[in-house]
Order: sequence, then C-alpha cells, then structure tokens
Amino acid sequence: MSSDSSHSAKSASNSKRSFNSTNSNQSGANSFSKNKKERVGDSGQKTLGMAWGSGSRSSSRSSFRSSPFTDFGSYMEVKNRKLHEQFDAEASISSHGGSGSKKPVFHGVSIYVDGYTVPSSQELRGYMLKHGGRFENYFSRQRVTHIICSNLPNSKVKNLRSFSCGLPVVKPTWVLDCVVADKLLNWAPYQLDQLASETNNQPKLSAILGLRSNLVACDPANAPLTSDINISEVGDSAEDIKQPNQEYEAFEHDICDEAKDKEPSCSNKCENEVEETNERRRCSDIQSITQTLSMISGSSNKGHSTSFDPNFVETYFKNSRLHFIGTWRNRYRKRFPSSSRPSSSSSASSTCHRNTIIHIDMDCFFVSVVIRNRPGLWDKPVVVCHSDNPRGTSEISSANYPARDHGVRAGLFVRDAKACCPHLVIVPYDFEAYEEVADQFYSILHKHCNKVQAMSCDEAILDITDLDVDDPQVLASLIRKEIFDTTRCTASVGISNNILMARLATKSAKPNGQCYLPPEKVNDFLKQLPIKALPGIGRALEEKLKGRHVKTCGELRMISKESLQKDFGPKTSDMLWNHCRGIDNRLVGIIQESKSVGAEVNWGVRFKDSKDSQVFLLSLCKEVSLRLHGCGARGRTFTLKLKKRKTDEEPVKYMGCGDCDNLCHSLTVPMATDDVDVLKRITKQLFSQFHIDVKEIRGVGLHVTKLESADSVKHGNEKSSLRSWLASASPSKEKENKDHKLVNILHIVDTKNQIGGSHHHQPRSNADVGNILSNQEANHSSDVPPLSDLDSDVLEKLPPEIFSEINDIYSGKLSNFMSKHKLDSNGVGTSSILPEYVEGVAAESEPGIISENTAASSSQYIDMMPSASSHIDPSIIQELPEEIKNGITNLFPAHSAPQIRSHDHLVDQVKPTDHSSSHQLWVGNSPQWVEKFKSSDSQILRFFSDMYSGVGSTHRLSSVLLKSFSANEACLGGKTTECDDTVRCLCQLLKDYVDLELESDLEEIHTCFRLLQRLSGRSKFLLQVYNTTLPHLQTAMRENYGGSLRV
Amino acid sequence: MVRKQNQSPETEASLFLIEFLEVAITSIVFLKGIYPIGAFERRRYMNLVVHSARHPKLHRYIHDSLIELVSYFQQGMVERVAVIFFNAAKIPIEKFMFKINMNRSHGAIMEDGALESSLRAFLIKLSQSEPLSKTSSQEWKWEIAAYFRSLPSDNGDRWIRTQALQWQQPPLITPIKSMKADPFSVQLYIEHPDLLEPI
Repeated sequence: MSSDSSHSAKSASNSKRSFNSTNSNQSGANSFSKNKKERVGDSGQKTLGMAWGSGSRSSSRSSFRSSPFTDFGSYMEVKNRKLHEQFDAEASISSHGGSGSKKPVFHGVSIYVDGYTVPSSQELRGYMLKHGGRFENYFSRQRVTHIICSNLPNSKVKNLRSFSCGLPVVKPTWVLDCVVADKLLNWAPYQLDQLASETNNQPKLSAILGLRSNLVACDPANAPLTSDINISEVGDSAEDIKQPNQEYEAFEHDICDEAKDKEPSCSNKCENEVEETNERRRCSDIQSITQTLSMISGSSNKGHSTSFDPNFVETYFKNSRLHFIGTWRNRYRKRFPSSSRPSSSSSASSTCHRNTIIHIDMDCFFVSVVIRNRPGLWDKPVVVCHSDNPRGTSEISSANYPARDHGVRAGLFVRDAKACCPHLVIVPYDFEAYEEVADQFYSILHKHCNKVQAMSCDEAILDITDLDVDDPQVLASLIRKEIFDTTRCTASVGISNNILMARLATKSAKPNGQCYLPPEKVNDFLKQLPIKALPGIGRALEEKLKGRHVKTCGELRMISKESLQKDFGPKTSDMLWNHCRGIDNRLVGIIQESKSVGAEVNWGVRFKDSKDSQVFLLSLCKEVSLRLHGCGARGRTFTLKLKKRKTDEEPVKYMGCGDCDNLCHSLTVPMATDDVDVLKRITKQLFSQFHIDVKEIRGVGLHVTKLESADSVKHGNEKSSLRSWLASASPSKEKENKDHKLVNILHIVDTKNQIGGSHHHQPRSNADVGNILSNQEANHSSDVPPLSDLDSDVLEKLPPEIFSEINDIYSGKLSNFMSKHKLDSNGVGTSSILPEYVEGVAAESEPGIISENTAASSSQYIDMMPSASSHIDPSIIQELPEEIKNGITNLFPAHSAPQIRSHDHLVDQVKPTDHSSSHQLWVGNSPQWVEKFKSSDSQILRFFSDMYSGVGSTHRLSSVLLKSFSANEACLGGKTTECDDTVRCLCQLLKDYVDLELESDLEEIHTCFRLLQRLSGRSKFLLQVYNTTLPHLQTAMRENYGGSLRV
Repeated sequence: MVRKQNQSPETEASLFLIEFLEVAITSIVFLKGIYPIGAFERRRYMNLVVHSARHPKLHRYIHDSLIELVSYFQQGMVERVAVIFFNAAKIPIEKFMFKINMNRSHGAIMEDGALESSLRAFLIKLSQSEPLSKTSSQEWKWEIAAYFRSLPSDNGDRWIRTQALQWQQPPLITPIKSMKADPFSVQLYIEHPDLLEPI
C-alpha cells in the first residue's frame, strides 16, 4: 500500500516525484514525515466500520498525535501509513528504473483486491510494485481506482454501489493482460461477469441530492467520486452555446429540436458540419455529470480525472462537455483579449476587394484529443461517452471517423453502437486535455493571422485578406501541419471568399483535408449541394422546402425572393436566398457579447417531494450565480424553465426527460444582480408560480438575460451610495442598511440634543426652538430626522463632503439652517420664536380664554422647554421688551422660573394681573397656589407646595400627586382634624384644575382623580377632598363630554 | 405624510390630521379584532409599526370617510370623530371618540417634530390601552361617525344616517390619551353605556 496515492492519481504521481526528491535531500527525513502527516490527515481515509467514524479530519489528526492508539481509527491510520511506507520502499527497489521516459504501465492505478483471486493478491501486489501501480490493503474510496476480484457474493452484487462506491470491479486477468500488453487496457471487457448483466442499480436524483450535503461539507479534494451516478448537467443554455456563431441561430434551434425528439441525427452520407455541430448539441442530453460535482468540487474533478493518465479513462468523468465549451469561451477571451474586439479595420465591402476566409475545424475534436497520445487507436473506431455502462444506455457524444464508417454517430446509445461496431472503443472526456489542445490550437492561429474569430474551442475563422499571401492553400497546409505537430490532432480547412462558403468547403474537406473554393467555383459547388448542408436549415425547414420539391441549392435558387418571403418571412427568406447563392456578408472577428447566462438540467431530474426540488433549485441558483461571476455579468431578467412530462411512462433513455411540455416563467427586477440569495428568492418565487406537481418535472433551467457588466454596475452603485437609498422607497431591509449609514451621523446629532431627556425628540435646545422653520419637507421624508433635530454644533464639525451630502438630502435647506443658526448663536436667537407666540396670545381678547390658552400652550411647550431654562441668559431677558418678557416667563416651566428669578428680579415682578380670579390659583409659571400653600399654616398644603417644587420637568398636578404617593405618608395621614379651610383650599385647587384642563386634557384630569382616589385610601383628609370635588368633575364632564368619567 | 407645497396651513393640517386618524382608526379596528388578523398588514407610520387594512373595501371605507371630512376640519366644524361598535341590535357597545380641536389661529405645522412625537405617543398609548386589548365578538359591526359643532350648510345628501342607536343614559367615559399640539389637539376616550343602560 502506498502512502502517496492518497489524493488521486494525479496528485499521487506528483507526490511520488516530490517524495523521491525529498528522499535524496538532506532534510528529507523531516519534511517527509511532515508531508506524511498531512497526507494522512487529509485523506480522511475510509477503511472499515468504526474507522470510518473516526475518519474525519480533526479526529484523525488529534488521534494521530496521541501516539498510543486511542481507538481503532487511529490504529488503522498508523497501520495504513506503515503499509504505504513499506510499499514505497519495496517499490523503489523493484521498479525497473531504466524506463525514465516512459511511464510505468500502472501509473496512477491503485488496486484493492477483494477476496480470493487467481493469481493471488500477493502476486498482484508484486505486479503493481513492478509497474508503478499502488496496492491498497484496505479499501479506501479516495485511493483505490480499481477493485480486483474473481467472485462476488450475491449480497455484494445486489448492493454493488455500497460495495464498490462506483469504482470498476475487474477480474484479475486484467492486470495480467496489461502487463503482457505493456500498456493499460480498457478494463471494460474484464468486468466481472456477475456485474455485466447487472441491470438496475442506478440511483435516483434524490440519492445524489442526499449525498450533496456531505459533498459540500468535506474537503473538495476528498469528495468521493460518484462516477456512475449520472446527473446530467446540461451545461449552458442553448443560447449561451449559440454565442460563437449566433448567426446560425435558427439552424441550431432546429438541431436542438432534433435532440429533444431523440431522433438519430440526419444520416448524411458525407460527414458534414451539421453533424459535427449536432454532436456537440447532442450531448445536452447526455451529459453525465452531477451538477453538484461540477460546481462544488471542481478541484476534485481535476484531481481525479487526471488528463495524462489513460488509467482514468475508466473513471467516470464528472464534467459536461457543454459546460466546457461554455467556459472555454471565457477562458479564450482572457487569453486572447484582442481577438474578442471587433477589428475596426476590416474591409466591409466584399465586392471591391476579394476577401479570403479560412475556416478551420479540428476533426472530431473530442475524440481525437483523448486519443492523440495513443496512436494505436487512431484507426480504430473510438467514441467519447460519459459512461461505459454495461447496460449501454448512455449516449455517445462524439465519434471519430472510423467509428462513423461503422454507422456510429453521436446520440446513439452505446448499446446500439456496439451492435454496429463490436470493437468500439469507448473513452471518456478529458477536459484538461481539451483545454490544452484548444489553447495550442488558438496560439497557432493567432501566430499566423491577427484576425481570428473563435467559433468554438475547436473551430475558428481566419480572415487572411490583408495578409500578403500568394496562395492561401499553402498557408492553410502550413497551419494544419503545425497543428498536427503540436497537438497530434488533425484539422480540416476550407478556404473561400466568405464565412459561409469557407464553412461549406470545410465540410467537404473533412476529415483531415483542405478545400479551396475560389469564387468562380462557388456556383458549381452550390448547385448540387443539398439544402440541408446550409447552415440555418434544419429539419423543419427542410421538410417545408421538400414540400416545394427543393432539395438542392440549385433548386432553391429558382424560387424568387418574393415567393420565399411569402412562405418563410423576411428573415428566413433573406437567409435562404443569400445562402443558396453563396452570399454571406458577415465580417470576421466580431464576437457577440453573451446575451444570456444560464444552466439547465434535463437529465436525471426526478423529485420525490418539494423539498427535493427546493434543494435542487438552490444548487441551480448557485451554479448560475457562479457562471454570472465567471462572465463578470449581472442580469435583470430571470427565466425559469420547467419540463413537465407528458406521459407517465419513463422515457427510453434512462433518467432522460422524455416527451415533455416546456413551461416557463420569467421575472424582471430593477437592479441587475448576480447574488445567490437574490437568485434563490427569485427562483423560489418563479417556481411557485408554476403550481406543478414536482413529480412531473423532468427538467429545470434557469436563465439570466438583460445582462449588464458587473463592473459598471458596481461603479454605479458606489456613485449613488447615500443618495439612492434616500431617494427610493426601498424595501425595509435596504432601508435598515442605509439607516445605519446616515443615522450614525445623525445620531451624534441627536444624542447631543438629548440632555437627559428620555423622550424621543422632546428636548430641544433653544436654538432648535428658534428654528422652527416652516420647513415642510423634512417632516415628510420619514427616514430623515427633521431638520430641527440636528445639532448645528455637530453639523458644523462635520467634514465638508458629508455636510454637503446631508445638505443634499435636505435639498439644500441645511445650509440655510446653518446660516440661521449662526445668527441665532450670536445671542438674539434665544427668544426668536417667542414674540410670535405672544402675538398669538394678544389676539385673543377674552381673559378666560387667555388663561386657558396660556396653560394649554405652556403645557404644550413643556416637552420642549425643560432643557431650555439652563440655556437662557438672564441678561438677554432683561434686555427684552416687556411683553416678550411676560411671554417668556409664562412659557417657562415653573421649576425653572425661580432660576430665572434668582437671576433677575424684574421677571419676578412681572406677574399677570389681568386674569379673572376664578382660575387664579393656576395662573403663572409657578402657579399662585404654590406660593399660597407654602405660606399656609397647614402641613398638608405646605407638603403639596414642596411636592410641586420637587417634581421635575412638568407642573402638572398629576405629577405632584404621583410624587406625593411615594412620599412620606405621615404628612398625609397625620392629623384628621385638618381645618375645613385646608380642604376648601385643596378643593378649590382641584376644581380650578378641572375647569382648566378638562376641555383639553381629559387624560390628565383622569389621572389626577385616579391618583387622588388611591391616595384617599390612606388619608381621610384626601378622601374628603375627593368626595367634594368628584361631583364637580362629573358635572363638568357632562357639560363638556356628555357623559360621566369612569374613575 | 405626502403633502404638496402651496397648501393653506389649514388644509395641510387637516390632511395631516386625517392621515393620523386613518392610522388610529385602523389600529382600533385591528385591535378590537373584529376582522381576522390577516386582513391587516404591518406598515410603518412615523417610524412606528402600525396596521393597515389590506381589504380594499375596508381600507377605502376608512380612507374615504375621512377624506370627506377634510373640508369640515378646515372650517373647524368637526368636534368629534367616533368609531362606534354596535351589536346586531344596533345598540352601541363601545364608542371611540376622537375629540378634535383645530387651532385655526395657528399657522403651519411646526417642523420641530413636537406634533409628530405627540402623535407617536398617541399611537403607542392607543395600542397599549386596556379597553382595546379586550377582543370583541366578530358579530359586531362598526362605523365611523362625525359629530359637528353645527349643521353643515352644504348638501346633506352625501351624508349617511348612522346605523347605531343612541343610548338613553349618558355614557361612562374612559380617557385613553390626550394630546395637545399645534395646529390641532386630539383626545381619545371611550364611551361605554351606563350601567343603567338597557341592552
């Protein structure tokens, strides 16, 4: 057992190399053991039973450190490590070191032998040692690549997946044959007979969805290969794929239709491009990769499907070809940024200047890349297919030319293909190799020509008009040769005067040829060309034209443009008319920006319940969001497509979508987004609109359109930061965010204002009162505190930028406010509003009303005034005109009045004298009764007077009563023999208060009497007062309110 | 609080008032539990969570009734606005009286937030007062009624007769909240039938 096969074959090979080198190093021992520790810890090895439980990262690490084995898991770990070391030591001796250039046969292969085998497990181990393989004594999902056994018990056959974890189970003869052949053979023919007949073992999607959470949790590198779990990942949306040659939309659309119908693609004799393209589209149904795997464990994919290692052909791959094509475009753009720009210099007119266009296309790219390093397969029929499942129900996605000669085409089931061609070799995708070859391919093209238009990863168009080339054919063969030398894959070339003809020429040049179609030959070439060969003509159009007895381009030319327009509409008829004449005015080098980003899954979609579907939608959102990030785009319109099955029958294709209705709903949001959470919300909303039984769903796709570049969006966001949220009536969440921003500033402002006040906005500084501007807006925008809430001192200190921003929010009023405040702070302002008020009083003529009004107004201002007294400069008051002074003294709360008085005796002398006597007790800032009671003989009256001075900010009777509630009872309850005069005084006080307040403040009166009622329980004196005043109250109530107060 | 510029102070104050009344009345109806909770949705008014009627008819009734009163508010004719709950026999069970006093001598709404904070305090008190937390039977009906200081001179045909009957005895009054501010003061109290009232 080797230590360093822990990750995957690729990393295994790497680590082996590094391991050897460190050994030769001086510091080898140390770093080696360190490496080992990490590796062991990382591998999260799955062995057996209990060991599995302790296999988690943390526990394995910690248990490893505590050397006496705490449990079985740590023991197994150390044992495995030791076995690996032994194996490595033996391997370094026994492996034949001479073949340095050639990789050993079993490079990257790691076998686990299950049960009795012939030859024995020890012999197999020997072979592995000798030929660079690995041998695992204990099964580990992460390290083992092949399970070797000759016989399996029935239970294991039945439950193969749990036994093999999807790894190939192979007969021991495979190892022997590989050694004999000195190369790694396909294991498929050596599969255990018991399993070859195995029929149904394929899990439903739900099984994988269950797995998913585990996958996310664990280190991607440790993510198990769920290779024969096939969730199709249909890569990009059709539109997305269409991008490179979007002119051919209609054409490709038809192809898509074909694919849906599950009909074998057109059986054209010549291997034309239609078929090529078709192949590519085909795989939309065939993709075998779980979507999760492709997105969650991207790194693990690479790790496992190591490109150079032919041993991994058997490993089911986990990526989608369409996804590859889609992502390749982004990659290409990054690599050759210049080419994505339309070249401005391109000469538009094809008439005045003869263009020369080269269309170059790799021959059966997806196959030839995989087998490029295996010349033995070049003349053999080879197909690329995601799964070499013994049932043969997977579809072929690409076939090479020898295979096509046998009638094997893309889209066929492997089963049928094998019937056509028994020796068919099936290889999986190798995405790293595709990437590498595509990059090489384009490097060569860019070297020769600066006008390159990428059509796909394996197909490009060159405009060599401006190049000084005598014979385009020579250049073409040069490029082709270079491509072959570099990539060992062949390419075909078509040369003509426009893109259309070049492409058609390529078709006839295939495979591995080139065809030059000079303009004078175009007519002859087209004459016999079946219309189907033209891009843009699919099955539907072909049928239509067939109805008119049009089969070749020559026949199509007979039809007048008008007649075509009548039948096919302006766009299609234009296309037909031009194409059948070989006219194509498109310029080389123009790549359309992506118009849509999306992901669609039409394979393996079987939901058990709505929970399944929700989980699935979420992962779909994640994928789409990732793709949006990848393209650097954000979208505004979101479209959810569902495929709803038409019949109850399961489709022929395993887990396929079958015959479906396509449903779709879309939603446009005002702000472009690529945020996963937003996507999730929108998707959920869209999904709920379908009202569909989740069991009926066979495919789900999410597409994002109306794309905007993410950069510009971001930029815009920053620009409108503070303003945008203020301007828009945004949802609450956003609001809260933004509140934080500004309110932080305003809070500073606010707290300065709140001088000990517990109310929200109550306490105002004088300056604020003075600034009761007729500013209406501030009140409207409920988000922004009123202008008057702002503390000018704080505002003054703000940095100019912030000030101007706030000023903007208040639509410029802030600066007014500030300038006003500056005036105020000069000392005049303290009284600035007061004159106004006094005027108001003067307008009223009836004395009774005046007193009432005064009281009302003062209580109304009470909330604002408390902090005011301290702000008042007595010297200023002294300077004021007489009536203003009156107003001020009336206005200020009683408790602050003495303060003023102490400063200024003038104020003290100014007492309202013109009021009627009835309410005199309550007149004045410090009501008369306070003074009167103070000088009274009665203890109780003095008590109330004291209470009044003691209450804080208000001069309400209720506060006085409330305070006396908590005060010393002795005073109240004391003598029962209070003279009637005292009672009379108090009653008068209350009656006056009722008369004064009842009209406007029922609540206050109510509170007073409730308190009095409670106090009267303690004091007979107060009971007497209560009983005396209550009838008065009720009478007043009836007069004012037409009912009696419930006390 | 959407108001246009160039409105007379009275109009502005009246609009402000009816807006407030709309919220307060909806709160009362909500708190009394005549309608299922689902008939209301949470909204924010003056930075307070209030409830607003979701049913268009309910919403329209409250809104339109109050809108009709705007001109009378301006003239200072409206003395009280009542929310009357009555039973199947049309005998009022509870009346929520908004006693309104427009201070017409006063000019525009002050921008210092005093009014706003008073109104906010009003709504807070409203939502926590005891009589409101007592849920009522769902068979109750309710209406909005306005009490005028004098008969309006204009066409009376727009007016609908109140459905509720009058009480024989003067009611018992429980004050809830009084609020004094410029340009208007509002007091809310509840009238209950006198104990002697035959129901």
